[in-house]
Amino acid sequence: MRQQRRIGPSAIHPIGRILLIVAYAVLGLAATGRSVVQITTKLDQAPLPYLVSGASALLYVVIALALWRGWRRVAIAGTVIELVGVLVVGTLGYVAPELWPDETVWTGYGSAYGWVPLALPIIALVVLLRRGAASADAHAAEAS
Amino acid sequence: MALYAGVIYPATVGWCLVLLVVAIATLVRVRLHPILEWVVTGMWIVTGIQAIAVVIALLSGNDAGIVLTVGYLLATVAVLPLLGIGRLGAPDAAAADPDPNRPVLAPDQIARVDAGAAAIVAVTAAVLAWRIAVLLGAA
Repeated sequence: MRQQRRIGPSAIHPIGRILLIVAYAVLGLAATGRSVVQITTKLDQAPLPYLVSGASALLYVVIALALWRGWRRVAIAGTVIELVGVLVVGTLGYVAPELWPDETVWTGYGSAYGWVPLALPIIALVVLLRRGAASADAHAAEAS
Repeated sequence: MALYAGVIYPATVGWCLVLLVVAIATLVRVRLHPILEWVVTGMWIVTGIQAIAVVIALLSGNDAGIVLTVGYLLATVAVLPLLGIGRLGAPDAAAADPDPNRPVLAPDQIARVDAGAAAIVAVTAAVLAWRIAVLLGAA
């Protein structure tokens, strides 16, 4: 466990890390723009969907920042929350449609965004966790 | 408006498609990176022309919502600096940064980062151009 704590951002594959930053920055820009318009102009019409959109926008920006600054644990926690959010909101959209008078970024598992909101956290977790596991093995080998 | 609907919008989406194709090709063959750099330069020019055309369309009395249209236009411009982001990982650039966590990329890695970022930006810019065209009544 201690060795895992030593794993820094340099343990993340550099190409994967930069492309994830780009992807999350773009998604954060899109979600922030959408949610700012929704919350400032028509929040009373559909408070839950618009607040969820706002929360997702904030989450995307935090993940992009975490990847940029090398906060690996924050990035992993953020992507896990994102994945759970996409799955819960996507499922609730079909199970309890009366809760969602308007769409969010995560509605239909992110179908309005080409399912990128569903695919991205999975890809991010693969990049973050596989590299971390490989690095942990390397640290263990060095220690022994 | 006819100019925008008939020329500017199709040209913008077409150039986004060129950027996407060259980006994917560069991911496969990093030797194509110089061609990608030319296409990226073209993307800046195309976006500049698109921005001027959108502003002219808005000023000429279009019914499109100004806040949303300008918002999408600003987003289009905001994603452009992500093109060529691989240069930030060049050894010279990384050496000037005190951040020890900043990645230092090899030339082939820089090409692949540029290509990946270009693919993301190409799709994003095409979607944004489509949204602007819808707002302006050109699509």
